[in-house]
Amino acid sequence: MKRQQLILAITALSLTFGASAAENVYGPFPITVKGYSGDKTDSTSYTGQVARQVLHTSLKKLAAKGDGSNADAVRADMMAYYSGKDAGRAIVDPKTKDSFIVEQTDVDQLSKGKDLRGKTYKGIISGWPGNMTGQEVIDFMIEKAAASKSGFDPLTGFNYPQLISKFAMGAVFYNQAVDNYLDEGLTADNKPNNAAYKEGAHYTGKEHVWDEAFGYFGAPVHAMSLDAKQAYNIAKKKDLSVADYNKDGKIDLVKEMTFGHAYYAADADKSGTDYLHTITKAFIDGRKLISSANGELLSDAQRNELMAHASTIKVNWEKVIAEATFKYAGSVYKDIQKLNVIVESGGDANEAFNDYAKHWGEMKGFAMALEAGGKNLGETDAKLNRLIGFGPALLGGGQVTSIDSDGNYVVGGDMDMGNYSVHMIKLQKLLADAYDLKALKNDATAELAGLVESLGESASAEND
Amino acid sequence: MIWEMTVQWFVDQWAVNFLDPDKRLFWGYLLSALVIALVWLVVIQRQHPRAGLKALFSKSVWCSKSARADYLIFTLNSILMSAVVPRLLGSAAVAYLLFELLHDAFGGRAMIAHEMPSWVIAASFTFTFFLLDDLMRYVVHRMMHHIPFLWAFHKVHHSATSLNPLTVLRTHPVEGVIFVLRGAIVQGFCIATFVFFFGSGVSLLMIMGANVFKFSFNALGSNLRHSEIPIQYWPWLEKLFLSPAQHQIHHSIDPRHYDKNFGVTLAVWDVLFWSHCHSESNQKLKYGVYSQTSQFQNKHSIVSLYIDPLREAFSILLRRKTRQTSI
Repeated sequence: MKRQQLILAITALSLTFGASAAENVYGPFPITVKGYSGDKTDSTSYTGQVARQVLHTSLKKLAAKGDGSNADAVRADMMAYYSGKDAGRAIVDPKTKDSFIVEQTDVDQLSKGKDLRGKTYKGIISGWPGNMTGQEVIDFMIEKAAASKSGFDPLTGFNYPQLISKFAMGAVFYNQAVDNYLDEGLTADNKPNNAAYKEGAHYTGKEHVWDEAFGYFGAPVHAMSLDAKQAYNIAKKKDLSVADYNKDGKIDLVKEMTFGHAYYAADADKSGTDYLHTITKAFIDGRKLISSANGELLSDAQRNELMAHASTIKVNWEKVIAEATFKYAGSVYKDIQKLNVIVESGGDANEAFNDYAKHWGEMKGFAMALEAGGKNLGETDAKLNRLIGFGPALLGGGQVTSIDSDGNYVVGGDMDMGNYSVHMIKLQKLLADAYDLKALKNDATAELAGLVESLGESASAEND
Repeated sequence: MIWEMTVQWFVDQWAVNFLDPDKRLFWGYLLSALVIALVWLVVIQRQHPRAGLKALFSKSVWCSKSARADYLIFTLNSILMSAVVPRLLGSAAVAYLLFELLHDAFGGRAMIAHEMPSWVIAASFTFTFFLLDDLMRYVVHRMMHHIPFLWAFHKVHHSATSLNPLTVLRTHPVEGVIFVLRGAIVQGFCIATFVFFFGSGVSLLMIMGANVFKFSFNALGSNLRHSEIPIQYWPWLEKLFLSPAQHQIHHSIDPRHYDKNFGVTLAVWDVLFWSHCHSESNQKLKYGVYSQTSQFQNKHSIVSLYIDPLREAFSILLRRKTRQTSI
């Protein structure tokens, strides 16, 4: 009898722990849509968003394929992933790497007929010359990337794979999530929870809207059980055992991969913040709340609670992008110091200039991504654009100031790298203050803060 | 809750003065001062140890009206400064501003000697900061004596008629604010210029979390400056470092001692700017403010010590304005 009681107790205990572990995972969630008669048992669905994640990562790789003479072919390849919807597109990245085996090899295995362009932000991006919409900016960059060597233009310092990648992450994923799904998508009349998302679907309107936003964030379903470094390493294809949640020996890109903004959240979190868990937790809690409505319309109280989770996601997601911008502003600052030393000693500055341009592209792409969130950033946006400018300061002075009627860049102005490094310091301060940043990676003034702490603020009225 | 907050405040603002090695009144420095004073009284002054201890813990010093005012001012200032200091310009703000201005002035970061061993950079930074801080303390101190508006506040410190280590914090809050700003400017300047020119190698050489020079100064009996124990150095050493007896001369009401020994650690500033005065053997000094015009309405009264300087400073400003108008 006692033995039976012991077994029962152990079973109950393990079930309890099992349940609590699953509580911190994004899915599976029950089918709640009324009248569903299919055989699905999990209402979670965001494969279309993951398909766009791999379209983005593939597009970034393709942006570096130009050799100066194959513009048409490169453009065609890039457009196939940006605006095409054709079947048969292979996943260029992420692909299996050594023991890190990726389950899907084609975009269609994730979702069919998906593109990026249709979901790209259509508002004006003031951070890029030419008064272009988000869509037009990427069209323009693809054109330029295709005509360049390895996606890099040494005359302007533009690194297109970075510019396209970071901006697209904002103009598609961030914009769709925070300006659509977690905004209009949560209104009472839009995508109601008492009806299937579309006829025959095994998920309700609100369930799917929420899932789509999660898919664009890019976290693996078990992100809550990973620390920042583990989540970061998954994106780097470094640790199969950590990524492989269902232990089938391969990585399911839908559930087990770290993409896009989740990767940058993890990157910031390596410096002590908790963006990845904060955002993922809000997604999980919000989804549970929707499931708990059991296919009925959400009450006002439930919707308010859901909006609070959405707000947590939006605020922290924006911080993640601002943290990344801050980090790369610090990299640009450091690169300028390196370039100064090389130039002063008469060395070859090519490699250092490439690094500088790469980091600048990342910074600029993220800064423009902030503009794609659909909210008015006001004075912060104006200051951000003035400090960064349209292009990096060039070795001989000047930077891109505009685009002429033929679509050629105009380089001018008197911005030199020294003054540009001042801009980077001011930019970091602006971002830190405006977004209340905490990770502050590559802080150009970190040494100042460290010494202030060592010396201690002179706070006593000690007399002499 | 209120009780917890009170205790927390007490630890953070008041007791910290005795617990933090970065503060002059840290218990370890007080202990070292006690040992140094006792050794000096017994070995140099040939006093019996019991007589030495009696002199050190003399009731007439520690329980005097002057000392009681010191303790009250110390406590009241702890409250006032904790509220005011966070709102003042800090060394971080000065450092950031200057760091940016240096970039502007030099057209970017002008790193020099960035391959110098980091210990050399750290030692240079620590020494430069000590030197500049000591110089600025001298300069501001001298100004507090020479500018009537500032003297109105500084005389609160000089109104002490007996000296004990806590007299170091017998300071009018306005003067306290001036000291905070002075510290912020000096710290900010040193930090910004060193980081700008020397990069990541800049650090502070510390002992027990305190600047190595500050630690040495305090461990070697800085608290005896405000005491009745007139420890002297050899004359040659008194031209380099100010002895406790020399600072006691600074507090003396003897007209011969007016405007002497403004320095803190180094005596070289006084030597360079003609305000140096050696200590005297067996000096017997009276402390306080001598001139009638500098007297407080009610000696050692807290209200008088806090309010009189404000009234006086205001009337100085008013007179100045009236003079300007009549011109």
